[in-house]
Amino acid sequence: MRILTKALIAVLMVAASHAQAMTVFACEPEWAALTKTLVPEATVRTATTHLQDPHHIEARPSLIAQLRGADFAICTGAELEAGWLPMLQDRAGNAKVQNGRPGMFYAAQYVELIDPFKGTITPFSGDVHAQGNPHFHTDPRRVMLVAKALAGRLGQLFPDKKPQVDQNLVKFEDELSRRIVVWEKQAAPLKGRTVITQHASFGYVWAWLGMRPIADLEPRPGVPPTASHLEKVIALSKAEQPTGIVIAQHHDPKPGRWLAKSMDMERKLLILPATVSDEQPDSIIRWFDQLVAQLSSLAK
Amino acid sequence: MSKHSFLLLTLTSTALGAVAINAHAQATPPADRWQAGVVLDGASTSRGLELGARDKGVGLGHSDLLVRGAFNEHFSGEAILGFHTEDKKLEKHIENAWVQTRSLPYGLQVRAGRFASQIGYLNELHPHTDDFTERPLLYRGFLGGHWYDDGLRVNWTAPTPFYLRLGVETFTGKKLVPEATADSKSHVTTLNMKMGNDISKSSSWQWGLSHVNNRREAEVEVHDPAAEGHSHSHAASFSGKHMWVSDLVWKWAPDGNNRNQQLRLNWEYAQVSGINRYADSSMRHRASSLGAVWKFNPAWEVGVRTDWLRVNKPENHEGDIEFGKGRLKENAIMVAYKPTHMQTLRLQLTQQRATGANDEGEAIFANPARRSIQLQYVIGFGAHGAHSY
Repeated sequence: MRILTKALIAVLMVAASHAQAMTVFACEPEWAALTKTLVPEATVRTATTHLQDPHHIEARPSLIAQLRGADFAICTGAELEAGWLPMLQDRAGNAKVQNGRPGMFYAAQYVELIDPFKGTITPFSGDVHAQGNPHFHTDPRRVMLVAKALAGRLGQLFPDKKPQVDQNLVKFEDELSRRIVVWEKQAAPLKGRTVITQHASFGYVWAWLGMRPIADLEPRPGVPPTASHLEKVIALSKAEQPTGIVIAQHHDPKPGRWLAKSMDMERKLLILPATVSDEQPDSIIRWFDQLVAQLSSLAK
Repeated sequence: MSKHSFLLLTLTSTALGAVAINAHAQATPPADRWQAGVVLDGASTSRGLELGARDKGVGLGHSDLLVRGAFNEHFSGEAILGFHTEDKKLEKHIENAWVQTRSLPYGLQVRAGRFASQIGYLNELHPHTDDFTERPLLYRGFLGGHWYDDGLRVNWTAPTPFYLRLGVETFTGKKLVPEATADSKSHVTTLNMKMGNDISKSSSWQWGLSHVNNRREAEVEVHDPAAEGHSHSHAASFSGKHMWVSDLVWKWAPDGNNRNQQLRLNWEYAQVSGINRYADSSMRHRASSLGAVWKFNPAWEVGVRTDWLRVNKPENHEGDIEFGKGRLKENAIMVAYKPTHMQTLRLQLTQQRATGANDEGEAIFANPARRSIQLQYVIGFGAHGAHSY
């Protein structure tokens, strides 16, 4: 009986601590970092890491528990999490983070997406997104738009945090605008250069920096590279003289490595984190710093 | 007024109370759109399995047409029309038709209508996402493969740092035991618990424990020695008053990135007691299943599963109820190719061995497949919903 009482008290204390602090569930680490930028003291739990493919996450028990305890959830949307987030929402039984409620924030609602899939989606199309490429956190200007919308939503949901959120937003916008100028200058030599990529993970980076992806290791979005497709990529690349091969850390590195070796481009293969690897208020800026520096190294 | 309808009334008023509280919530984006999808599961089988759902030859396995979405911010729903071929004929059945709350406080959820019970690991999952062409013997023997029924469910997800869900379900039980004795009560109640968490960045687990209180006693079949072949039953082949199910899942992927590689282990055990009024109180049905699947490449998986089932089968021999001990063992290995997430091509080899006979010396499991090869192709069109763990 005493054990039971203690257990009950423990459960109630956990429940009470959830009620006090602002607990945020972030589907991807970039949105966790952005939330931390605006509300540094928030308890933020992140469903995925830069080493995981955000399309292919399982609705694990730990994630259900995290969403159950959240006051607010921030995700990419545009079907990026279609394979797992609806299951988490269904299992968590948390009214605050159901679609249509202000506690459920989808970043994709506030930016324009590139490359919407036009045509009929069939079982053979791969992981196509009718609404467009969902990896828009790789464009700092779109991150700025999301920050603004997120600040608005947080201020509306947590009025006592509004002054602080607004202040942090201005600071972030100032810093990011200054850095964008620096990054664009640094990446100027990359303009017009061609790259071989895997998936649309960095699609917004190419558009932002004026680079040209000429081939994709995946025969169709989300479909693993095949030997015959890689042969085609080599044939296609011969005429174009690509500046580099850029894949994300969560991709299987074997096809990229094989391609780099076959094309004698081993030193031009970049395996980059597709998002921030920690969730500090400044990690988004540090991530762009590194991304631009590493890409610029290709132009040398 | 029965206990049943009283419970329903209480829950309905709770749901309406929640509606009133949230009625002045601010204007927000629209709720989920409705989605529809179709999944087809075709297979070629060299030989039908004992207690199996697939006939010899080419046939359609568990396929479905699904519609799901949210009515408003308080209720969501789903309907599934299932279909498969049986003796070369197309069979259809309404498998799901339910409404569930989405705005109750304190982690509570209520579901009413027709739906799959959440006992065990596999039962609440769609069969077309299974790792093997047939469900484990445990499901085929005790739950008709996939037990769905008409009823009501209340779930509570605890505000704990790990996952903890407690659930209670009450069903009519007509899908589990269609032919019950005249004095049977018409309901089956389940109590179930699920808990789970991550062990590290790379691995996670889930454990479930369920109890089924079955108030429907199955009518004992009149023994017919001339009957042969596989009986296709969508109800429990072996039932009893109490069933316990324990299910454990453990999954591992490097850095938690299950896109490229993943190991999945699944163990389930079930025990049925209180077989019927003629049975000895110590008599049990028991079954167990242990499976492992290794995804070694984004598109390829291999798996192995071993199952056993031990039953005391009641038979009516001209008015005398006799019990025959039967044992069935099944081993399966499979390799699956998944070129996109909407397609699976699977090749499976299954072996069965049976022992045990009744007092007349007739085998309890007369047609075990010494060797059966199945080639299965699953393809989905349209929305197919998110997958559970």
